[in-house]
Amino acid sequence: MPASVLYKHGGLFLHKNLSKINTNLMKLEQNLDANIEKIKNALNSEDVTFLDLQLANRKGVLIFINDIVDKNAVGELILRPISNIKNDLTEQELFDLFLSPEKSQINSIKEILNDVLLGNTVLIIENSNTALSFALKFFEKRAITEPPTSTVIKGPREGFVESLPVNISLMRRRLKTPDLRIENTTVGKYSRTPIALCYIKGIVDEKLVKTLKNKLSQIDIDAILDSSYLSKCLGERTVSLFKQIGNTEKPDILAGKILEGRVAIFVDGSPIALTVPYLLIEDFQSASDYYNSAYSATFARQIRLLSVFIALFLPTLFVSAELFHLQLIPLSFLLTIVNSIKGIPLSPSYEMFFTLMIFEILNEASVRMPKYVGMVVSIVGGLVLGETAVTAGIISAPTLMIIALSGICLYTVPELEQTFSILRMIFLVVAGTCGIYGLIISVSFIFIYLISFESYGSPIFAPFSPLVKEDLKDTFYKGFLHEHQFRPNSIKNKNKRRLKISKIKK
Amino acid sequence: MQYQLKTRQICLFLIALTPISKLFIMPSVLASNAEQDLWISALINLALDFLTVFFVLFACKRANTTLLNLLENSLGKTATKIIVSLCFVYFTIKAILPISEQKDYLEMTLYTLKPTVFYFLPFFISAFYLCTKRLKVLGRCADVLWLFTLIGFAVLLSLSISGADFSAILPVGASGYKAIFNGSYASKIWFGDGIYLAIFIGQFNYEKHSGKKILLSYLISALITLLFIFIFYGTFTSIAHRQRFAFTEISKYTTVINNLGRFDYIGIIMILFVNVFAISLPVYFSAKALNYLFCIKKEWISSLIAVAMQVFILIVFSEYYASIEKLLMNYAPPFLFLVGNLLPALTPLLTLKENKYAHTQS
Repeated sequence: MPASVLYKHGGLFLHKNLSKINTNLMKLEQNLDANIEKIKNALNSEDVTFLDLQLANRKGVLIFINDIVDKNAVGELILRPISNIKNDLTEQELFDLFLSPEKSQINSIKEILNDVLLGNTVLIIENSNTALSFALKFFEKRAITEPPTSTVIKGPREGFVESLPVNISLMRRRLKTPDLRIENTTVGKYSRTPIALCYIKGIVDEKLVKTLKNKLSQIDIDAILDSSYLSKCLGERTVSLFKQIGNTEKPDILAGKILEGRVAIFVDGSPIALTVPYLLIEDFQSASDYYNSAYSATFARQIRLLSVFIALFLPTLFVSAELFHLQLIPLSFLLTIVNSIKGIPLSPSYEMFFTLMIFEILNEASVRMPKYVGMVVSIVGGLVLGETAVTAGIISAPTLMIIALSGICLYTVPELEQTFSILRMIFLVVAGTCGIYGLIISVSFIFIYLISFESYGSPIFAPFSPLVKEDLKDTFYKGFLHEHQFRPNSIKNKNKRRLKISKIKK
Repeated sequence: MQYQLKTRQICLFLIALTPISKLFIMPSVLASNAEQDLWISALINLALDFLTVFFVLFACKRANTTLLNLLENSLGKTATKIIVSLCFVYFTIKAILPISEQKDYLEMTLYTLKPTVFYFLPFFISAFYLCTKRLKVLGRCADVLWLFTLIGFAVLLSLSISGADFSAILPVGASGYKAIFNGSYASKIWFGDGIYLAIFIGQFNYEKHSGKKILLSYLISALITLLFIFIFYGTFTSIAHRQRFAFTEISKYTTVINNLGRFDYIGIIMILFVNVFAISLPVYFSAKALNYLFCIKKEWISSLIAVAMQVFILIVFSEYYASIEKLLMNYAPPFLFLVGNLLPALTPLLTLKENKYAHTQS
């Protein structure tokens, strides 16, 4: 039996196995006290409110969790109409009485528990097998701000927040089409985190949506506290140094990705939306590339490529040249290096390795430290430590310069920073022990790994391998608008055309 | 039918991987036998391979299934196993020299101080990893590697072409036909690329101009090899036979290098990168042959055996490399011709028989 089975209810896919709650699947009884007793047993928590009401001659109980419902709305939309009831009403009349836009009729204890935990308000009435559920949830949420991970000079500055409905509204604002489909589900045995799949019907490959839904239904985890948890669960390889699922914090980028045939996954409580399938080249593409001219976008992408190359290979090539291949270094430069390393107690590989380690420590500390201390860390770490280390003869000036340059270069592609800093460390160890041939072998190993890697049917090294000529115009070369008439072929999608150039000319 | 490769990938495979292993020792072997007519010796082998590719294309055009299925359907399982065994021996032999060359190259040229054999052993990890992958991955490798091959060649050739004396190859045929034949015979082990195409039968969709594209790609690959040989001999002339690792030496005499340092290593490193894949190819196919011969379902087992054999040969016989090289160059060529050229050239007969059988059945 699968870990969890989904069944549809009121627009939500609900988990059947709800740990402790799962034991009580029975239908509502006519006896109000018995029903309340069962619910109280299951929801034995002080923040759950059971509000006794009188609906003409019948008793009722309103159940909600204190801090996650909009109490004003409860008063206006539920309590006020109830106070006006003079005669006994049927279930349907009662249902029609309430003006809440999101309401449903439910008839099992399990559904009641589900709804209450999701932030809904449930009304149970005496002598009735049906309860009424109102979606009046209210969570404190952050304002929409520019995400710190992807700032732009030109272009939209909105970023996703931790609220799922807000994030979906940001998408709806950009894609006003009935084909934009949202499918909800919950994942997490204890967290029961609401998750939304978002795609455009008619563009997306239906098989991809089906595979994703199937994979989501099979996730059996205590809690999804952030989209990164889900990203790890959805990855096709259990162990991987590289990202397997794309992500973004910006609605404009996400809209662009959805329009290419990807599926977005929102996780409630996370400002980062996931995208599937993922291609490695995505992380070299910045939102500003699409708002600036094609020339500057192309130039920026070439710079990013060069920077990644420098970040990964400059320290390693320098060490291997110093240790094993002196012929690679021009004589005059070699003399400069010799003078600078005179008296340095460490071998070139140790020197580079320790300098890199110090850089990584400073990097980690600056992220973790409070902002007001961060400046001190930068000054003490970057300037004082570096300068003193060179003056004291512990490390050489070229090594310090190379590490500084390599460190800065890596941040031109922030999404891959973590992966590449690990790779840089591995390459450095290999270059320090085996020289340039070791480095070539390591790169070839990574290369084979990447080209055999597929993310939901799309090779992540596409459009380079397999070579998709049509898609190369959005890689290290950014084509002009008229060159992007079709959706990328590297991703399976339908309805290939996305732009008719004749219309633009008019 | 689901194809593992595309015509484009086969074309790029031929351009990227086939000329690379011919750059290390082969030019000096040719020069020691045929002197200034080394290019004719190379041309003979290239022409033989071209003919093989030409014939195999007939089979590719008509084949509805893979080579192994064709062999099984036409000759039966036992004969197929014998042929696959021959292929296994062929690829094992074909892997020995390029791998040893690469190791020697590291020891003699690439490193300032002579490294131990263990510096070369990581290559086998990469080769093993490649061997565990499907043919599709090989095609994807070709999609990228061709660029490295072409840039690497362009860097090396552009730096060395100005210093080459092309009149050194004149007069044509002065070494005599026997020397030319000896050159072709001794260098046979570096050729025989037609067999790769035979393995690709039924693995790609043969479209309208596939044949022309593949032949053209082979011609480009042959042209790169010949151009390198011309420049090699033009640069070193009468001492060419002593230049064991010509491609590192060929460009260092240019004045630009004197001023800027050895930036020709950019090209050399690119070629070394592609060579990791080029010399892994015979190991890859020997692993696949083992898979078939012993019905091994787990790819990593056959890959491990194929790679372990090469490690064993490299470590145990490293002291006798010169003797092995001599042995292979003197006695292996007839076998290499049989498996590398003759058997692939006969594949159109298999497709003819298959189609005839299918026609009779229908």
